[in-house]
Order: sequence, then structure tokens, then C-alpha cells
Amino acid sequence: MANAASIEINQVSKVFPGKGQSAGWRALDDATFRVDPGEFVCILGPSGCGKSTLLNILSGLDDQFEGTASIHGRPVGKRNYDAARIAYVFQEPRLMPWRTVRANIEFALSAANVSSSQWKERIDRVLALVELSDFGDFYPLQLSGGMQQRASIARAFAIEPEVLLMDEPFSALDELTARRLRQQLLTIWGTFRSTVLFVTHNAFEATFLSDRILMMTKGPGGKFCDEIDLRELARPRSYEDVRVFETSRTVVERLVSHIGSLDEH
Amino acid sequence: MSLQPLSVTRFVPSILSRKSAEDRARVSRWFEAHAADRVIKFASVLSLLGLWYFGAALLPASVMPAPHIVARVLLHEITLPRIWINVAITMTRIVFAFGLAMSVALVLGFAMGLSKTAARFFDVWVVCGLSLPSLVLILTIFMIVGLNDRAAIIAAAIPVVPILTINIWEGIKNVDQKLIDMAKAYHADRRRIIGSVIAPQIAPTMLASARFGLGLIWKMVLFVELLGRSDGIGYQIEYYYQMFNMSEVLAHALLFLLIMLFIEIILLGKLERRLFRWRPIQRRI
Ligand SMILES: Nc1ncnc2c1ncn2[C@@H]1O[C@H](COP(=O)(O)OP(=O)(O)O)[C@@H](O)[C@H]1O
Ligand SMILES: [Mg+2]
Repeated sequence: MANAASIEINQVSKVFPGKGQSAGWRALDDATFRVDPGEFVCILGPSGCGKSTLLNILSGLDDQFEGTASIHGRPVGKRNYDAARIAYVFQEPRLMPWRTVRANIEFALSAANVSSSQWKERIDRVLALVELSDFGDFYPLQLSGGMQQRASIARAFAIEPEVLLMDEPFSALDELTARRLRQQLLTIWGTFRSTVLFVTHNAFEATFLSDRILMMTKGPGGKFCDEIDLRELARPRSYEDVRVFETSRTVVERLVSHIGSLDEH
Repeated sequence: MSLQPLSVTRFVPSILSRKSAEDRARVSRWFEAHAADRVIKFASVLSLLGLWYFGAALLPASVMPAPHIVARVLLHEITLPRIWINVAITMTRIVFAFGLAMSVALVLGFAMGLSKTAARFFDVWVVCGLSLPSLVLILTIFMIVGLNDRAAIIAAAIPVVPILTINIWEGIKNVDQKLIDMAKAYHADRRRIIGSVIAPQIAPTMLASARFGLGLIWKMVLFVELLGRSDGIGYQIEYYYQMFNMSEVLAHALLFLLIMLFIEIILLGKLERRLFRWRPIQRRI
């Protein structure tokens, strides 16, 4: 199993059925890639190219697609539940507002069948990691947007996921908050070493975070068109690092050469 | 690097930063706002009473007795068992009619919320039910079932069902699909999704519908008693009306109004506030 991929998708296409006579919307076209265990991969592409569609397929939320997608060698979907522990961080925090932060994390733990004797220890640990130790008993609506998103990241790591899917988790936050959270995410990832598939339309974010960038073209029919290996870029990375900045500029150039211009987002 | 949020004081109630002057100012502002609220409510009740006195001054006492006369009649009535027996009879009918209306509305509302076919099918029924005058429905049911208690309960329940159904249907349609997806992505099973994600979202609508339904039902029960029963508060009101005794009419109505307001606002309102503490802005009655 040394060579087993953590995530592997093969010729995955997705068409959203159109209404009445219309032909339908091709959201993904013939996507193929693999992600190795412990790798941090960013999918970079313009809005509407099918990134969320892809994560929904991988998380098992959407099972209407062509091609094959597997995690830890098992096809995605319900039957994969016991094969791999998957966590999903959405663009919005998606916390249940009637539960405290702690109780929101408990929900994920109980869904993952983690024994309740471990809950307190795990929750305290992840809350400390996202620096929300004092806020466990707060309700989400009492917290700022950035704090809510940190709570949702804490929820994701609480189940100690082997695979973590992230869908533009920082795009709704102001840049300053987003920067802190990216750094924090890398620190936490360093301790857990989950496989991360992180979706973004922000070239700098992709450069700062990932081992590898997979680029997508515009929708409809978004395709994977390019791949950039960033393993050479030493970690830990910092925002002041000139090499990170220079690299992100070449990433932007490559992206522009594929999709024309960046005007639309 | 510390990530203490810059904006804690803006989002967090006073527990954390009790010391800060800004916080204390906010607390006093809160009291101020609520005190103002009380004053306005008090003034509102007073002016209602004022209007009543004004009407009583203009009209003959046999048509509109002044509040203190009605109060005196009421104080006398509540020392006698008869009014309490009638209250008990009416309350029993309310409980049954309410149970019946809620059960039917729950079944219809859930069916419509969960199935598009059911929604299309029952939509017509609901619209018809809404546009049909309650009086017609009630008389029809009395005709079909007979002038008995069963008919009274059904007749009080049916006119309320359509509007309750719409309320419950709306509540189910508004369940946040994103939270359900979150639960699915975390591999929550069906039971957990229904119990921990869906139920808490529809509970507020259910409770609001129950309060709203109760408010409609009790008026409907009084109406039905007036039309086709020979006991209960509704009948008493009708009886004293026939006798031209408006003080008794108003006294009975007032007592029942006070009882129902107590149940609706104090009991159910408290329950609602307790259940939905997590909501930062509480809807005030
Ligand atoms: N449920 C749906 N029905 C129809 N079209 C959809 C649906 N979800 C997404 N789409 C379309 O598919 C395309 C890709 O969507 P998405 O994966 O959300 O893009 P991204 O996340 O890259 O911004 C978009 O053009 C969107 O309009
Ligand atoms: Mg998206």
C-alpha cells in the first residue's frame, strides 16, 4: 500500500440537468488527478469552474457524476464511511447556531463515532489550536465571522481526519484575518498531517499554502489544465518571504495564460 | 502570535469584559431601553382603559358599562363556582380542538414540506379552506355531526387548520439545506440528522404555530359555543347578551381574555425564550 493514493479521481464529469429543453450545465469535464497521503494540494480556478462541485463529489454529497472517484482506494459515497475519516470545511462556517461551539464540535465527534470519553480532551485540544479556548461555551452568533470559521476548522480537525476538504474557507473574511488563519491552518496541518484538498480562486493563497497547485480553466466544462509543484518552496513559509511572493506572481501568470484574464473575479 | 480577536467587545456580551467602562455603559443603555419599553406598554394599557371610559361616558351604561362596573361584576362572579365550571368546560374544548387542529396541520404541513406532489395536491385544499368563511364550515359540521360536543370540537378545529398548515409548511421549507449537507459530510446518520439538525430548526416554527393556533382556537371555541352549545363561556356570553346584560358579557369575556393571555404570552412566551436562548435578538411580544 506504499503507493496508494489518498484521493484519486479519474475522468470525472458532471452535468447539472437543465430545465425543460435546455441542454444542462457542464460543471466538470473529464477531471483526473491524484493526491498522495499527507499532501497539501490546492485547486486553483476562477469562480464557477466546478471546484465546489468536485468537493461535493469527493465528500459523497453528490453521487450523480460520470467517472470514478475514490478515497483510500474505495469509491466515494456512503460505503466509504468507514474506510476514511473525511472532514469538510465550507466557505461559510456552517455551525448550528443553537449549539455552543463545543456542542457543535461534539456533533461531529458523535457522528464520527468517537467515544465520548475522548470528547473533552479532543475539543480542548483543537480549540487551543485555533485559539478559541475561552469561547467553547459561546454560541456561534456571539462570535465574529473569523472566529466562527476557526470554530469550523476546529470541528474539522477534532475528528482527526485523514482527508480534509476545504472549499474557499477564507474567501469571506477580510485579508488580515485570512492571513492569520492560513498560517494557523499550516501549523495545525503540520501536527496532524492530514491530506488536504484546498479549493481557492486566490493564486497567492494557493502558493502560500500548498505542495502542489492544480489549475482549472473557466466553466462551463472546467478542465484541469496545469499543475505547479511547490515542494521546493521551503516551509514554514511567511508572507514576508520574497520567494513566496515571486512564485505567486508566476502562478498568476500561468493562470492568466490559461483563462485569458482575471477580470471576472 | 496571538489571535485574540480585535473585536471581542463588539460581539461578546458582558461576561468577559465586565470591567470595561464601555461595557457598563452598554448595560445601562440596555436597562434604559427596556425601561422605556415598559413605560410605553403601561401607557398603552392605560390609554385603552381611557378609551373604554370615554366610550362608557358617551354610550348608555346598558350598552357599554364602564370598566370599574365590569370589574365589580367580575369580582363577584369569580367568588361563585358557576363561572369556573364554564371556564373548565370551555378549556376542555379548547384542549381537544387545539390537539385536533395541530395534529391535522402537522400531518398536512409535513407532507407538503417533504413532497412536492403533496404540496401541489393540498395547495388547493388549503386555499379553499382559507377562503371559505368559518361560519359556513362550522354550520356545515353542526349539520353533519349533530349539535353535540364532538361537533363543537371539530367545528372549532377545522377553520384553523389551513392557516396552521401554511405556517408549518413554511417552517419545513425553510430548513437550512447547508446544515444538512454539513451533517452528511461529517457522516451523521439519518437519526442524528433528523434529531439534531432538522428538529431544532423547525422547533421555533412549531412553537410559534402552536401559539398562533391557540390564539385562533380559543376564539373559535367561544364562537362555536355561542352557536351550538348550552354551556361554556361562549354560551354564557350569548346568554347574557340575550338578557341585555352587557356587564356580565364583558366580565366573562374579560376573565377569559386574561386567562388566555396568561397562557399565550407568559407560559408559551417563556418557553419560547428559554428554548431559543441562542438567538441573539429575541423577538419581543
Ligand atoms: N445545483 C446546481 N444546479 C445547476 N447548476 C449548478 C448547481 N450547482 C452548481 N452549478 C453550476 O455549476 C458551475 C460550477 O459550480 P461550482 O462548482 O459551485 O463552482 P466554483 O465552486 O468553482 O465556483 C457553476 O456555473 C454553477 O452555476
Ligand atoms: Mg465554490
